Amino acid sequence: MTPIVRELADLRAGDTELFGGKSTSLGELIAAGINVPPGFAISTDAFTLFLTVDELGERIADALAQLNPADVGAVQRASDVIAEAMRATDVPETLRAEVSRAYRTLGEQAGVDEAAVAVRSSARGEDSAAATFAGQQDSYLWVSGVDDVCEAIRACWISLYSPMAITYRARLAAGDGAPAMGVTVQLMVDAEVSGVMFTCSPVTGDPSIVSVNASWGLGLAVVGGEVTPDEFAISKVTGEILRQTIGDKAVEYVHTPGELGARPAPTPAERRQISSLDVERLAGLLAAAKAIERHFGSRQDIEWAVARSGTFPSNLYMLQSRPVTATPTAGSDAVQDRKGADAMALVLGTFGVKRAGG
Amino acid sequence: MSTTTGTAAFPRPSEIATPEGCEGWEEMYPYYATFHEDRREADEGRLWFWNSMHFPDPMPAFDVVAIDGPYYALANWQNRVFAIPPAMGIDYRIVNGYVYITPNAVTDPDLIAERAGYFQERAGYYFANWDRLYARWQEKMDALIAEITALEVPSLDKYERDEVAFEDRDTSFYRVLDGWSRTLRMHERMWQHHMEFLLLGYGAYLTFSDFVKAALPEVPEQHIAQMVAGIDVLLFRPDTELRRLARLARDSGLDAHFTSGADPQTVVRTLAESEDGKAWLAELEAIKDPWFNMGSGDGFYHYHRAWFDEPALPFSAISGYIDALADGRDIERPTEQLAAERERLAEEYGSLLDADARATFDKLLGLSRLVFPYVEEHKFYCEYWFQSRFFNKVREFGGLLAEHGFLADSEDVFQLSRHEVAQALEELCLTWAHGGPARGPHHWPPIVERRRALLERLRAWTPPPALGTMPSEAINDPISVMLWGITPERLRSWAAAMDGDGTTLSGAAASPGVAEGLARVVRDVHDITDVLDGEILVSTVTSPAWAPIFSKIKAAVTDIGGIMSHAAIVCREYGIPAVVGTGRATVEIKTGQRLRVDGNTGVVTILDSEPAA
Repeated sequence: MTPIVRELADLRAGDTELFGGKSTSLGELIAAGINVPPGFAISTDAFTLFLTVDELGERIADALAQLNPADVGAVQRASDVIAEAMRATDVPETLRAEVSRAYRTLGEQAGVDEAAVAVRSSARGEDSAAATFAGQQDSYLWVSGVDDVCEAIRACWISLYSPMAITYRARLAAGDGAPAMGVTVQLMVDAEVSGVMFTCSPVTGDPSIVSVNASWGLGLAVVGGEVTPDEFAISKVTGEILRQTIGDKAVEYVHTPGELGARPAPTPAERRQISSLDVERLAGLLAAAKAIERHFGSRQDIEWAVARSGTFPSNLYMLQSRPVTATPTAGSDAVQDRKGADAMALVLGTFGVKRAGG
Repeated sequence: MSTTTGTAAFPRPSEIATPEGCEGWEEMYPYYATFHEDRREADEGRLWFWNSMHFPDPMPAFDVVAIDGPYYALANWQNRVFAIPPAMGIDYRIVNGYVYITPNAVTDPDLIAERAGYFQERAGYYFANWDRLYARWQEKMDALIAEITALEVPSLDKYERDEVAFEDRDTSFYRVLDGWSRTLRMHERMWQHHMEFLLLGYGAYLTFSDFVKAALPEVPEQHIAQMVAGIDVLLFRPDTELRRLARLARDSGLDAHFTSGADPQTVVRTLAESEDGKAWLAELEAIKDPWFNMGSGDGFYHYHRAWFDEPALPFSAISGYIDALADGRDIERPTEQLAAERERLAEEYGSLLDADARATFDKLLGLSRLVFPYVEEHKFYCEYWFQSRFFNKVREFGGLLAEHGFLADSEDVFQLSRHEVAQALEELCLTWAHGGPARGPHHWPPIVERRRALLERLRAWTPPPALGTMPSEAINDPISVMLWGITPERLRSWAAAMDGDGTTLSGAAASPGVAEGLARVVRDVHDITDVLDGEILVSTVTSPAWAPIFSKIKAAVTDIGGIMSHAAIVCREYGIPAVVGTGRATVEIKTGQRLRVDGNTGVVTILDSEPAA
């Protein structure tokens, strides 16, 4: 039987069914030579195993049976019942043992006991779409100790039964089988600067640029739309910064030692309106974006962070990469219309001669 | 779409007042060149824009040849040869000495279709035979330049030379009148040649540029120009020769002669005192023809002189290069690197496209590169080489008139129209031949004086960027877009600037980077030698002839200009930011004001309201 916990570096695209999209895409990034925080992945089998404990799966199915997804109150009650049942159920001992071993190995790699990690869900297929739809940010940051890691893993599973996720799956009529979810556990990156980048223009779809959004602190502020980030358009061809807009970055998410997670704090005045990235870091992001796009062979939407500790470029980490979907193809109509046309016919068009069928 | 449609964003021609003391300015210009009651209704319904790209200064009477010449030729090729379907030609009017132009459009769909038939056949022939026709073009230009160089302006002596009496040679009156008429005809023929390829050349480039912008909307315009532009082109040669001479001067230990601001005559005199100096001067002489035909301007005014006549610019450039060498800076144009970069850009942008789009990209790039040598080289042949010979030939005729008292000085000839010069020469020939009293010496000098004063006063007037009525349909004249960058967006931004606060100007981002510094406004080409190290050049238009001062300046801002102009590429090569086509930079900005020029976004900000003391 396949192990239910594996190192991220061992995963490839083919493991998506078992480990979910997030963990496997990180495995692919590592394979492409991209700097990714080390970590391990929990398979969907672990969740299936969890459902067998104390007939948890049957109890969940009962709670969902006959549920009218349009009845908001009923959905909320079912969600609460399921969450309560899951919280009352211990993580299976086999999983706990494997997590414990992997977590210890990770700590040894990082040179610390009780390493701080980020625990995130790694859903697959429709569950991934459901999570996106529901706006779930199932990220548990600065988790340390095996107990807390296991609790965070369970919390990720619980998020599969949020009222939004239940409603979404019911609407899709995909709720026959139980949903499944993998989990990603990675060393925490205490970000000085973080953000998102597209390997094309998010507005026009032009593939000749990398478009970077950046802000101080952890990425939550950019992803959550809580700040006006700095925006950069970098030419993939020449590396020039074609445009930049420095945003007013009012808040930054910071971690307080000893606490779980991160909290928004006002950005100190002297940093609010200055650029959060310099030319060297932008060049590093451009190089990573190009490498990742080349590896996957498609346009990518990438989350990244620069750690407070360490030196550039080894402190520049890629946290996630997924295909860009909701972006137009550059100049689609205008270009489609001209493709394959004789050069002369196009020149005539410049002089106001309409082309036949054009 | 347009919110300014039909609104009176720009003044009507009839609302333009004559500046004080400039009454009667119309006498300098042809009757057909001004706004007049006769055609007021038609004229006021059109949009006229100030052609500050070619005509930034008020026009001297003679220099009207540089309006008529190009506009006969452009319209003839455009409308009567190639029959560009929607656009006939450029109409012009002079207002307070400044040239306003408007395109004549074809609107009848049947006529457009009829013209398309001619255009396809004729333009197709040119593109299909480009190399052969362009080689023929170069021969025609060489012959024309040789002809004007050889044309002799006779002196009117007491007795004719023996050849007239004994060898059946033409008499002097005939040679003067024929020579004048041939001088004008050669000028017109030059414009005929100039415009033969211009539209097709620019059109091919624009087609490539439009395609790239549709497929890759974020690509900076200057990258498009870089993929097409030639590396080893004629226009760079004069500057290359100056760098070589600078290196030679340094290697020969002659640096000390080239102090900044030294008078060229003094430099030449002191160099002639040593053997090394003489050797250097011999090198200089060897490259002067043709490279010192490069001019300080654009060839549209008689005072745009060639380096031959005004060596201050090349000498100041040489001393600048010598200083740079002394500082250990590299002054070479990295041609191999530029060529490799050109190929790399084309390859990488091409590779971002799918196979079908890539095929179109490659075809259009190939066509653009085919036509681009003409686009770049015609300027040297026509505007610099021929025009400097032409204006100097006119000076010789002026000298003849001055010698006989018709003018106080040979330069005065440019205050007369070409027809008036013909009249003056006719009277001169008549009175010289028969020996009777001439009226010319009484008639012409007061006219010259009056016009000189008029031009001086008109120079102080600020022309609005456009006049007349914004058309109800967007101006979409391919020729205006191609040659002047006049797009509906540009017109709207000019209209907005008419009532803007004047602290920011926007134009096309022509060369990337951001720079801050003090402005040096150059409205007259003679002022370019005033430009100091580290200043920001603000001019109506930058010309490739100014290349040598680009090593001094921090950034460049122009009123008008397209991204395909060589000036934009020069800025990129020197790595300095440039914003072109702001419409009003030379009006809004004063020398000494601190500016920020953002060549990435095309925005120029005036940081001080008053020039620094």
